[in-house]
Amino acid sequence: MAELSDKPVVASRETIVTPGWQRWLIRVRAYFWKEVNEIRRQPLLILSLIIGPLLVLILFGSTYVNSNPRVRTAVVLPAEGIPGLEEEQLRQVIGLNFDLRLVTRNQAEAEALLATGAIDLIQVLPDNIFQTMRSGVSPEIFFTANVINPLVEGWVQYLAYAQVNEINRTLLVVTTARAQEEAAGIRVRVVDFEGKILEFEQGISEARKEAAEQDLKTFIDFLDELNRILPPQEVLAQHSDELAQLRPILTRVRINLREVRRALLDETLSEGLLELTKTRSDLQLLSGTLEIFVNIAPDRLVSPVKLSYRNLRGSAYSAVVYYSPGVLALLVQHTAITLGALALVRERLMGAFEVFRVAPVSLHQLIIGKYLGYIVFIGLATLALIIAMLVIGVPLLGNWLQFAGLTLLLIIASLGVGFLISALSGSDSQAIQLAMISLLLSIFFSGFFISVESFAPVALPVVYAIPMSHGLAGFQYLMLRGLPPSPGSWLGLSLISIITFALVVIITRRQLQRA
Amino acid sequence: MTATQKQLAIHAEGVEVNFGNGAGIFDQNYSVPEGTILGMIGPSGCGKTTTCRVALGLLAPQRGTITTLGRTPTRFTAEDRERIGYIPQQFVLYPRLSVAENISFVASLYGMSTRQINVRMDELLAFVDLTDARDRLGQNLSGGMQRRLMLVGALMHDPVLLFADEPTAGIDPVLRQRFWEYFRRLRDEGRTLVVTTQIVSEAIYCDYVAVMRQGRILAVDTPMGLRRRVLGGEIIDLTLEDPENIGRALATLRRWREVVKSVRVAPNSETDLHVVVEDAREYLPEVLNRLENQRPRIVVASAAPLDVSYDDIFIRLMEEAQAPQEADHG
Repeated sequence: MAELSDKPVVASRETIVTPGWQRWLIRVRAYFWKEVNEIRRQPLLILSLIIGPLLVLILFGSTYVNSNPRVRTAVVLPAEGIPGLEEEQLRQVIGLNFDLRLVTRNQAEAEALLATGAIDLIQVLPDNIFQTMRSGVSPEIFFTANVINPLVEGWVQYLAYAQVNEINRTLLVVTTARAQEEAAGIRVRVVDFEGKILEFEQGISEARKEAAEQDLKTFIDFLDELNRILPPQEVLAQHSDELAQLRPILTRVRINLREVRRALLDETLSEGLLELTKTRSDLQLLSGTLEIFVNIAPDRLVSPVKLSYRNLRGSAYSAVVYYSPGVLALLVQHTAITLGALALVRERLMGAFEVFRVAPVSLHQLIIGKYLGYIVFIGLATLALIIAMLVIGVPLLGNWLQFAGLTLLLIIASLGVGFLISALSGSDSQAIQLAMISLLLSIFFSGFFISVESFAPVALPVVYAIPMSHGLAGFQYLMLRGLPPSPGSWLGLSLISIITFALVVIITRRQLQRA
Repeated sequence: MTATQKQLAIHAEGVEVNFGNGAGIFDQNYSVPEGTILGMIGPSGCGKTTTCRVALGLLAPQRGTITTLGRTPTRFTAEDRERIGYIPQQFVLYPRLSVAENISFVASLYGMSTRQINVRMDELLAFVDLTDARDRLGQNLSGGMQRRLMLVGALMHDPVLLFADEPTAGIDPVLRQRFWEYFRRLRDEGRTLVVTTQIVSEAIYCDYVAVMRQGRILAVDTPMGLRRRVLGGEIIDLTLEDPENIGRALATLRRWREVVKSVRVAPNSETDLHVVVEDAREYLPEVLNRLENQRPRIVVASAAPLDVSYDDIFIRLMEEAQAPQEADHG
């Protein structure tokens, strides 16, 4: 070993005189650089924090197809099919909402597939659908599902409801079209019968009486059939006032004609000339109304209200763009919490707190220096991530300064949570565990995938205690809508920052005193 | 403050910190003059670290008073702390920082500017032979280098008082000796050092030694003073040519009370005597003459001052401290 150097170890006292305020800053800077140097010596950490999430986002964007669940479905048709509804038409209607894998008439085959999980849903369409309808009973489509995901079950129920509506509409269109066909033929008879009523008014010979009575009966039967096949009064009424009167006029005509037939049989027809005139007038009215009815497109009659949709922004964003603010908020928060969670516990366990206590440093210098170190690092990582997002087409429509401010506040609030975890943890592994729990909480309760409104009020304190909840909402406003974040976002992040900082100071002070 | 206190780096009177169950430090009275090395020697758990922590202001005494650099430690200001250096028992080394970055960090905690750090770091790295390791990461340093790095960190701000808590524990004898060379060099330049150790033989390097047991300071003295205190003086080891003369030799020396403090047959020997005198080298010729002048002559085959190890002295101190306790319990 070499001999000791002859140079004195005592430093010149003059060389270490530095103003007090400068010393304060130097001490803060000491922690700042220590944290920055420690992090920059971990290239894998940097890669995993920036490149990793970006790759995940790109993978998500390039492979994501649809947010609606694909419900694999089998349809069991009745043996004779559905009259008026082609199988292809049925495929189209059901295929709108469901992934139609099988159309069969064998219910056992479909049930076997459902039991093995090869399909998720069976729809059994009813027999004699029109006859059942005519008998006044609503035919039922039986849906049997085999799903374990509660969200998917909700979707299945909603889509089944929508499909039944669509089928109802289709059936209504079919029956209306049929009614229109028949009504067109009956209308000819109505016009023809006006002449017969005029004949009745002028007096009818004994020889014509029997034939007239038969004509009258046949005509009444046609009107009864018309009454049966006409769409429900609500359907007619929702179209126009004229059609609203169709069924009342028809009813009145049928009643009057039965009276006429009775008078014809009783030979009292001459006493009711006024009623005959009135009936002829009603027939004219019926003829006109039927003309309106048969000339309306069945679709228009069944669905008078049309959907008109316009998105102020042209169209919604792609899923990858929509989720980008959430991913950004999640990454900023998770990085800050993870780094913060190890910031104090590691040094406390290695005995550095004892050295800090002996040295002329204050607790505030320690915490501020560490905060600054992490803020700079996470800020740079976030900047790299934002640039990468912009490159892949994620917009930033809002104010850049507000965006920077919100990001900074999100970092500080998240660091506060991380530091708090660190202050409370007894070991590195415990700190990491708590950081992972905070990640899990954030994914469920921040509104990232599940809307905040989906939770009971009792969960709201948890929602608001998560920095990402506020960051996510603010980023979505700024990036995707071009609007400033709500005051709630600013306030929430500010409160989390202040409260966690205060708690960290209090807890760390106690720990330092015990060091 | 009295004139005496001004010259004392540390002055403790009746200091006690009781952790319960017999743990803590009790009734500690000691002083450390400026520009000296105080070695605190004692077994593990005897309270050495606690004693340092009280002097550093990390623990407040429950009883008694203590001043470090003339101030009550628990009321240290930042300026007071800037005058103190500390090497803790536990390594505080950031494995992902280089030697220079580790040093810069600690120096910055003491408010040193970058320029000051660079100048001072060069001097101290040279002092502890770490110049070549300046850019090496902490995780790549050997145990000895880590110890030296800790020393540099503690000296960067040029403290007048340095506490080193077991700095030589677990390192090889060569490096251990080197550390004591550093410490003595620092002492020679006017610094005061408080060094704790479990290695009793290191007492020789200290100006003052505090022997500790169960939180109490059994004795504080210079190494030589401690030796005298335990042995009653210095020992001359005599080997008689004829074992038959043992009785006469004992009687002769015991009668010579103005020089000989005590005399006894050496353990496990029939020919050796241990003669306790104030100064072995000074009185050795006179002792020989006194025996040779007897009629008939008592012939001495060999005679030399006996070098009693500090381990033995330490053990004797421990036994002396143990004896009253056993008597109390007995």
